[in-house]
Amino acid sequence: MSEDKQRPQFAQPAEEIFARILDYYGIAWQYEPRSFALEWDEQGNIIEAFRPDFYLAEQDLYVELTTLRPQLSTKKNRKLRRLRELYPEINIKLFKRKEMRDLMVKYGLLQEAAQLHGTAAQPNGE
Amino acid sequence: MRTTLTDYPELAKDIKEVVITTEEIQARVAEIGAAISADYTDKNPLLVGVLKGVLFFMADLLREIYVPVAVDFISISSYSSETRKQGIVHLAKDLETPLAGRHVLFVEDVIDTGLTLNYLLRNLRARQPASLEVCVLFNKPARRLIGIPLKYKGFDLPDRFVVGYGLDHREKYRNLPFVGLLTASAYKEQ
Repeated sequence: MSEDKQRPQFAQPAEEIFARILDYYGIAWQYEPRSFALEWDEQGNIIEAFRPDFYLAEQDLYVELTTLRPQLSTKKNRKLRRLRELYPEINIKLFKRKEMRDLMVKYGLLQEAAQLHGTAAQPNGE
Repeated sequence: MRTTLTDYPELAKDIKEVVITTEEIQARVAEIGAAISADYTDKNPLLVGVLKGVLFFMADLLREIYVPVAVDFISISSYSSETRKQGIVHLAKDLETPLAGRHVLFVEDVIDTGLTLNYLLRNLRARQPASLEVCVLFNKPARRLIGIPLKYKGFDLPDRFVVGYGLDHREKYRNLPFVGLLTASAYKEQ
């Protein structure tokens, strides 16, 4: 939880909602604390990396949220597969668009869920 | 006794299909009750449930336990657009029974993300029970964020919107004695 820190600038509204839910239930979290290199050029420079949205320290779990429609999330899925290949010791959970929407419905955030329903794609940050 | 979808004509239109029948639930609850009875002989366990969804499971489970047992209930504020203004979760109703030195079995109807259960277990553990275990009837692992050991588990549920036997959608359908898949129209209309 980031109660003693400045609230981070979330890339997506869904991330802020997720952070609020974690805060509510007393779960400590960090926002995008670590970047994982996924691909290097011949000189060893990183040319592709992946930075999961949240890290839950007590659970040793990274969480990535996506509000992309399934057909638009191919690139992200590929990155996640690569991450799991290169860093098998890392626990990461992908919260897909449907799961995020269901979570909002579960907590009575119907308006937010409806907005997510109409989101075709995310501009940045994924 | 009402046991099938046709016994509930007012609600049946909102149920696409029954995914766990009344008979299946009854049989599994009996098995769990027998296992608890065997494990807690001479321990006089305290079963703790969180309101409201657990009412149905708790009532049936208690009747399948054949050793002395006590029961108590707790209630917390769930996250919502209203409660979030209060900042953090709070107890709406606390237990009446002291837990220190007791063998406590926390009984839940469903575990989904694990956020609520994790909060409650932390709260109960701080009261220093002799033991603290978890019994869950319905396990929805797809959205699990917090790993919690489940000593007793009834059924794994698919990541679909299901209702009945305590599971609700906006306070409806809890009273169905089976678990049914909610239709998309019922899910969206209400």
